[in-house]
Amino acid sequence: MELKICHLYPDILNLYGDRGNILCMEKRLQWRGIEVSTTGVSIGQPLKASGYDLFFVGGGQDFEQEVLLKDLAGEKTAELKAAIEDEKPVLAICGGYQMLGQYYKTWDGEQCDFTGALNLYTIGSRQRMIGNYLFTCTELDNQTVVGFENHSGKTFLGDGVRPMGTVLKGYGNNGEDGMEGARYKNVFATYSHGCLLPKNPVLCDLILKTALTRKYGETALPPLDDSLEQAAHSAMENRLRKK
Amino acid sequence: MGMKIRVFFALLFCRLSRFAIRLLGRGGTDFPGRVALRLCPNLLGVLAKNVTTVIVTGTNGKTTTSRMIEQSWLDSGISYFANKSGANLLSGVTAEFAMHSSLTGKCRYTHALIESDEAAWKAISKYVDAKAVVVTNVFRDQLDRYGEVTHTLENIRIGLANSKNAVVVLNADDSLCTSLSLELPNRVIFYGVNVPIYRTRVAELSDAPYCIRCKNEYVYDYVTYGHLGKYRCPVCGYRRPEPSVAVEKILSSDEEHSVVVIGLDGREFETAINLPGGYNIYNACSAMAAGKALGLDPETVAGSLSGFACGFGRMEKFRIHDTDVRMILIKNPAGCNQVLNFLTARTEPFVFAACLNDRAQDGTDVSWIWDVDFERLTAMDRTLAEIYVSGIRAEDMALRFKYAGFPTERLHVVKDYRQLVEQATSHGLPVFAMPTYTAMLDLRGTISKAYGFKEFWE
Repeated sequence: MELKICHLYPDILNLYGDRGNILCMEKRLQWRGIEVSTTGVSIGQPLKASGYDLFFVGGGQDFEQEVLLKDLAGEKTAELKAAIEDEKPVLAICGGYQMLGQYYKTWDGEQCDFTGALNLYTIGSRQRMIGNYLFTCTELDNQTVVGFENHSGKTFLGDGVRPMGTVLKGYGNNGEDGMEGARYKNVFATYSHGCLLPKNPVLCDLILKTALTRKYGETALPPLDDSLEQAAHSAMENRLRKK
Repeated sequence: MGMKIRVFFALLFCRLSRFAIRLLGRGGTDFPGRVALRLCPNLLGVLAKNVTTVIVTGTNGKTTTSRMIEQSWLDSGISYFANKSGANLLSGVTAEFAMHSSLTGKCRYTHALIESDEAAWKAISKYVDAKAVVVTNVFRDQLDRYGEVTHTLENIRIGLANSKNAVVVLNADDSLCTSLSLELPNRVIFYGVNVPIYRTRVAELSDAPYCIRCKNEYVYDYVTYGHLGKYRCPVCGYRRPEPSVAVEKILSSDEEHSVVVIGLDGREFETAINLPGGYNIYNACSAMAAGKALGLDPETVAGSLSGFACGFGRMEKFRIHDTDVRMILIKNPAGCNQVLNFLTARTEPFVFAACLNDRAQDGTDVSWIWDVDFERLTAMDRTLAEIYVSGIRAEDMALRFKYAGFPTERLHVVKDYRQLVEQATSHGLPVFAMPTYTAMLDLRGTISKAYGFKEFWE
């Protein structure tokens, strides 16, 4: 078996350790004898979505994010949308999450249009939602996910998009409706840095299993020794629950 | 209350509380300063008024650069004080001035050397009329605290705008730093490195790949590290300015020091920098430029670079159980990558200890460890004998090394610092400890208590 991962704008959306998610997915596949290759696709490079099984898009600084919006519009957006409708898994974090939505409106009313791949939108606020946080993941029987959020945009979900889970500690999508992240077909979108997947190996395996199952039919992943991963997860969960 | 009385009480309180804190065996400088500022908000302005002050700010290298400048002042016979203990917030800087003034508010020294947090610099600049401001570099730092680099840059820019009389010393190789000179009326001295530093470098992400003026990608003749190097924008023409103080040659560079030739105003100075690593070559060059800003004899400053005392946790060496323990403070990916450039040049086996805390001063977001190319370190195979991880976020650090491919049998999570030092020094191999800021304070505290090294504020 083999998964081909596409890392969108690895040189621009490269903030807050999000590339650790790629490292994590690669390792957890390799440890199980599954082949994996990751290809970066950045500004000026065409995106041939049919060549990939899984997509990753992280967060970046505002300055650099502006640089890529023009490149993302048009061809790339069409390819990405087609892949999403074709039920290919996408993991999107923070800025990447927002970019999958309809638009971002700054707190003083300026609107920036995004890909519109998902029915959600983001409104800038003057409050920065920052810190370690804890939420449940509905599809993982409400097991918890730990991460670090750092955003001033408040994201609201529209019809057809469900949240990834419920916030237990922290802000989540907008600090108002208690929801965190977005799920649509096989898109997993979240505000969680941290880095997300290494400390939440069950979520990582869910995404990998989804990609493998889509490609090869029902696939089970053999368990790994996750004692270090669980230790990091519990350390943060216990700390947040004590607050 | 009259101003003089207000100053008097603020100073008195500041001294008493600092004295009391030391009696308790701690090295606090923040609390006394905060209280003094409450009693007299303009205290720093009063105290700094007739003092020739040099500010060192930027993301990385502030402390080491300050120690180099300090040595050059000592060797030039300047009467000065410096904020030594890494107390670089507004409160800490105020406390330092208070400690070096009489109770009437008169400073006992002609010069002050102030290392300032780039965020605090904005506040400090309102009170201090600096003679020179040295900006080391601008890298991504603790994002939760400072925000994005453009925000950091903005803070420094505001600080500079408040410093009408300052000579501004800027890193020519840093496109972010150099942008501070645009439309700046001040006299500017650029310093830089005219040759590539490393033969091979760790894979690092550039913090500034796109032109700050027009957002097109830079072209580099060479990169020294990170986003530093000889850059130019092919579209708008924004480019590295020619530095007037520049490292022309790197004659040698080993684990203890680097020997370089620095050109300054047409003269060349060969100097041994008594700290290893390419980033310290930059620090040395900025110290030379700071000397030029004050009109010091460059020969003297060049000599000082081989004689200065290492800063607090910056390649600081301890000898414990007949083993060398070197402590290298890390704050952000750029600094960490430079430490790795240094370590991966080693051919003799060593033990590595990483202590990761996530208090406010460390940065509460530890995500950045995933941006660092630790894979280069684990690829050293047996040269890197053991890895110890410690600190509040030890488990996160352990995961990072696991996913960098380091064998978990040789990866140890030891949260107790005494145990950490004991175990790390038990292999008969030199130890390199890489703590974040508050982890360094804790680790140093343990080392001083258990093995009899002096405390940092002494």
